[in-house]
Amino acid sequence: MSERKTGVYLCGGCGIGEALDMAALEGVAKTEYKLEPKAHACLCGDEGVAMIKADVDGGVNQVVVAACSSRVMTDRFAFEPAAQVIRADLREKVIWTHPANDEDTQMLAEDYVRMALSHAPKVTLPEPWIDGEYSQRIMVLGGGVTGLTAALEAAGVGHDVLLVERSDRLGGHALEASRRLPHTPPYDKPEDNGIQALVETVQGNARITVKMGATVTRTAGMPGKFAVTFADGSIEDVGAIVVATGWRPYDPAKLGHLGYGASPDVVTNVDLEKMLARNEVARKSDGKPVKSVAFVQCAGSRDPDHLPYCSSVCCATSLKQALEILTVDPKANVFVIYEEMRTPGVAEELYRSAQKAGVIFIKGKVKSVGSDLTVTVADELVQEDVPLAGLDMVVLATGMVPNSTNPDQESSEKGAEQLLGDVDPEAPIKVAGYAGDAPADYARRDQCTPDGGSLLNLQYRQGPHLPVLHDGFADSHYICFPYETRRSGIYTCGPVRRPMDWAEAAEDAAGAVMKAVQAVRGAAAGAALHPRVGDLSFPKINLNQCTKCRRCTVECPFGAIDEDEKEYPIVNPTRCRRCGTCMGACPVRTISFDNYSVEMLTTQIKAVKIPDEFSGKPRLLIIACENDAIPALDMAGIKRNQFSAHVRVLPVRCLGSVSLLCVSDALSVGYDGVMLMGCKPGDDYQCHFVKGSAMAAERMSKVGETLKSMMLEPERVVQVEASIADSDRLPTVINDFVDQITAIGFNPFKGF
Amino acid sequence: MNAMSPTPSKKYDLDFARWVYDNVDGGDRMALCMQCGTCSGSCPIGTQMDHGPRKLFMMIRAGMKEAVLTSNTIWNCVSCYNCVVRCPRQVPVTYILHDLATVAVREGYAQATESDNARFGKAFWWSAAKYGRTDERLVTAKYYFSFGFGEGYKKGMANLPIALGMIKTKRMHLGMPHKCKNTGELSKLLKKAAEMEAKKHG
Amino acid sequence: MTKTMSYYPGCSSQASAVHLDTSLRAAMGKLGVELKDIEDWNCCGASVGHIEGGHMGMFALNGRNLAAAQAQGGENLVTPCAACYLNTHYHNEKIREDARIKADVNECLAEIGKSYDGGLHVRHACEVIVNDIGVDKVKEAVTKPLTGLKVAGWVGCQTVRPFAKTERGGMYDTYDDPQFLDDFITACGATAVEFKGKTKCCGGSVSVMSPDKTLHLMKDILDEAKAAGAEVITTPCPLCQTNLEMYQPEINKKFGTDFNIPVVFYSQLMAVAFGLDAQKDAGLHQHLIPAEQVVTRAK
Repeated sequence: MSERKTGVYLCGGCGIGEALDMAALEGVAKTEYKLEPKAHACLCGDEGVAMIKADVDGGVNQVVVAACSSRVMTDRFAFEPAAQVIRADLREKVIWTHPANDEDTQMLAEDYVRMALSHAPKVTLPEPWIDGEYSQRIMVLGGGVTGLTAALEAAGVGHDVLLVERSDRLGGHALEASRRLPHTPPYDKPEDNGIQALVETVQGNARITVKMGATVTRTAGMPGKFAVTFADGSIEDVGAIVVATGWRPYDPAKLGHLGYGASPDVVTNVDLEKMLARNEVARKSDGKPVKSVAFVQCAGSRDPDHLPYCSSVCCATSLKQALEILTVDPKANVFVIYEEMRTPGVAEELYRSAQKAGVIFIKGKVKSVGSDLTVTVADELVQEDVPLAGLDMVVLATGMVPNSTNPDQESSEKGAEQLLGDVDPEAPIKVAGYAGDAPADYARRDQCTPDGGSLLNLQYRQGPHLPVLHDGFADSHYICFPYETRRSGIYTCGPVRRPMDWAEAAEDAAGAVMKAVQAVRGAAAGAALHPRVGDLSFPKINLNQCTKCRRCTVECPFGAIDEDEKEYPIVNPTRCRRCGTCMGACPVRTISFDNYSVEMLTTQIKAVKIPDEFSGKPRLLIIACENDAIPALDMAGIKRNQFSAHVRVLPVRCLGSVSLLCVSDALSVGYDGVMLMGCKPGDDYQCHFVKGSAMAAERMSKVGETLKSMMLEPERVVQVEASIADSDRLPTVINDFVDQITAIGFNPFKGF
Repeated sequence: MNAMSPTPSKKYDLDFARWVYDNVDGGDRMALCMQCGTCSGSCPIGTQMDHGPRKLFMMIRAGMKEAVLTSNTIWNCVSCYNCVVRCPRQVPVTYILHDLATVAVREGYAQATESDNARFGKAFWWSAAKYGRTDERLVTAKYYFSFGFGEGYKKGMANLPIALGMIKTKRMHLGMPHKCKNTGELSKLLKKAAEMEAKKHG
Repeated sequence: MTKTMSYYPGCSSQASAVHLDTSLRAAMGKLGVELKDIEDWNCCGASVGHIEGGHMGMFALNGRNLAAAQAQGGENLVTPCAACYLNTHYHNEKIREDARIKADVNECLAEIGKSYDGGLHVRHACEVIVNDIGVDKVKEAVTKPLTGLKVAGWVGCQTVRPFAKTERGGMYDTYDDPQFLDDFITACGATAVEFKGKTKCCGGSVSVMSPDKTLHLMKDILDEAKAAGAEVITTPCPLCQTNLEMYQPEINKKFGTDFNIPVVFYSQLMAVAFGLDAQKDAGLHQHLIPAEQVVTRAK
């Protein structure tokens, strides 16, 4: 890298010039950092950008922009890779949240300029990790509706696909299914299955290689460089993996209380589906036609003793099957016994169709099913136990068990342990979907974790399984990042991650494939994946200082760091999401990124001018997560929500990257309090790096010792949760913390 | 039209529900009831009903014919049509209740035939059919005396102040009932209607 | 220019709601509409006729009226009574929309040499004032505004439910919060109070046969009117007027209250505000609870 040449640019636009003493800000750069700043009334305008551009052309290779939040105008201040850009926020976090032309506001602005300029000399432009060849091929695991669609989607955007199916034919459950749930307007009747056509399209696609009867025995490597070994001994190189292993029906043998086994004519919805597909709906006992049939909804679902969750498609499936029966025999008696009909979205239309067709809906719980098929219903509306007699068949609408494990293989002890989840395995699982009178929390996670071996046998320090969370479904954040699995380059879609129907699964497949495409392309460019998409930095470990404590390998949420044969950490760079949890974990500060390190953070912390205790001005450090806390604070600025000017906000990639040393350094230089502001940790985490904020909380629980040794009150260090929607709440949280610290009194280390 | 009369039942039995769907005015839409309870919640007199429309509809589906046709829900309806305009599935609740009332009387359920409404309805129809007009005096009197002479006299006396007031304000006349000119034509018409109605119900 | 419309006064026009009939004819005259009675009309069946008469009985009664109205020309049939409006409107729509019903009704009508094709539009008198005449015209016709008179506009049920929709498509007002009555009150120069009981039910015919079941409903309405500071309640519905007026003594007895609030028809307010005779034209002498306020405020 050529010699560093830093340019400093101060913006006076958006009211900054009117609210702050710009000359004094320039003075900070000149006298304290010996840099000659350039001011402009509108830095993001064409003229301002041209001014910076001219300097970059003239050899400036590091640009410090003191203007607005680093989250905005990124397209205007885009000078990388020619010059690295460092931002200081004088707008959202200064003039929009604090009074204009005020002494404290001015001190705040000057400190933010100091923080930016102080660490600038330590930041280098990251060079990506690129090493040899990268596979652009995408492996799809599972040949059902989800997997077939995923294969076509991936091929459609120009990637070769390896489609892996454990059985000897493609099509999955759909192959034996009758008509499918409606997916085209007006969504009111069962539609053609279409699975044969889908299978044929896949088989006819030149980009797709199908591997049938295949079981994965080992998956090693990382995005762009996965080596997948199969039971037949073959090894395939793939760049990313889409897991579309789907579901299996809940074991009806466990449903004796609903009459399973009492008569051969008590069947499951899966059994009936096969009968409908063959057009052979008849009693198993005597082959007689079915003139009267009752569907029992939630058979083993939303039941703490069985599946605690709702499988979301059983209601619609029963409606579909009822309509199919009535199509053949319009005079058939069809009952649906339900607790709540759940027909989300357009499935409501199917519900209406079934009602119009004369299906009788009974709200209540099944109390017993006799061997003569008499179903006694505790009818919730009639408020009596009512027998339903004369039935020819009882259909149990059983739920979906996710294939997050391979039921063909035995579960290994280690895998079972891993499947308990590593976020908060002790947390009880709430039974979803009740407004009142909810069943007790589901106490034991393992009860709802599916049996079976690992799908991929991952060669990760964290174990062979894909992590699971609620109810045995592969972990993924339902709303914010649905396909992520905590194993970079491996994405789940379809019913393995939550119950869904074909149409949803097909959409899901497309979504996961887009992530996989991003993974193979990002890996080849050395760029990070979600959520720091495009980041070229990666963790570098100075092994000379490493104590082999293994905290980095244990704490990495993504299993990116393995241990080599000498037990030293070894980074798999394309698995890494660049959160810095390893950096925060390392007790000897030997893990750093080109543009992010403990030293860079402490330099910024120490750059702030701490007034002495006689000034009456406390200083509090807010170490804030860039994912939700910083945007929420920016939004507070946009809404002009005001908060104390005594706080200094230090953005970090994730609270997981915060070393305890940052906290103790802050206290030792005279900050009166430290607040860590980040995403919600735990079972229902919102942390974008899954367990970064949980790791921070874990570390902070031990900060008491440190504070005690420094003779400081433990209340001086707190961790608070912030979500993206907290722009109105956070100012109060901050002000309360300032009040609390003011009440405790100033830090006695001040001035040392 | 289905001429089958529903068979009484205490167990789930689709026949009654189907019969209602096919034969009761608005019954076809009753199949679309999703048991949300907007009807019962909107009813001004719902607290005085034994079941309310929502539960009554469930009972129809459960085949509880007897309980349905002896329920006071069909008689306490004040015909305010709140339920009709509020039902998210456009089930014409009031019409269905009215029609069930007719069915209950036709089928001769004592709770129905001896209800205030059936007595009143009988008196009302008598006036409408005989004179072509409702004579409020005669309908009320006939209704009162349907409970027997003693009870009728008591009811009449209790309402005497109102009646006197109405007479004084010339809102109740003394003398012959108001009637259509062509009552002969009217009875011919209603006779034909009754024939057609009877034919419909077998 | 006077417009003539076929008119179905309903049974109550000859008895308990004779003052609605009188005042409406008078007020409509001032608004340029002549109401021409349909020839030898009969009862609509109200909300109890079905019990004894059944479907066909109800269709016969309403079919006869509709046939008579069609025979005398025009395309509208106007009625001031909530129950007449509901029944005639409902059966008319059924005849129009269902070919099988139309055939049945005509088979029945043929017995008396009549027929009906479903072509008429059944209108409520209030809807005619709103849509054909216009509230502005009402305002223009006022010569003696009822300045300062606080009136609770009580629409009741069947005037807007379930047929707040017109037969020509669209709505003439809403089911739960209709505005037209308040507009009428304001047009007459009076003050429409904020009244929460607007579309509450008086119990209808159940109140006539079994008032014990429904007195609390009427008390509720009176409570709301009192809380709103109303001196007078006005309504378009004949049965509402009678029920709420005649049961006030019983309500007072049962609940220990002291209600004595006059209940008048909107058409009576109009007649007085139009400068017509309070007795001969407005029928204001025909109340169990006198409503002198209406007359004394008219100036």
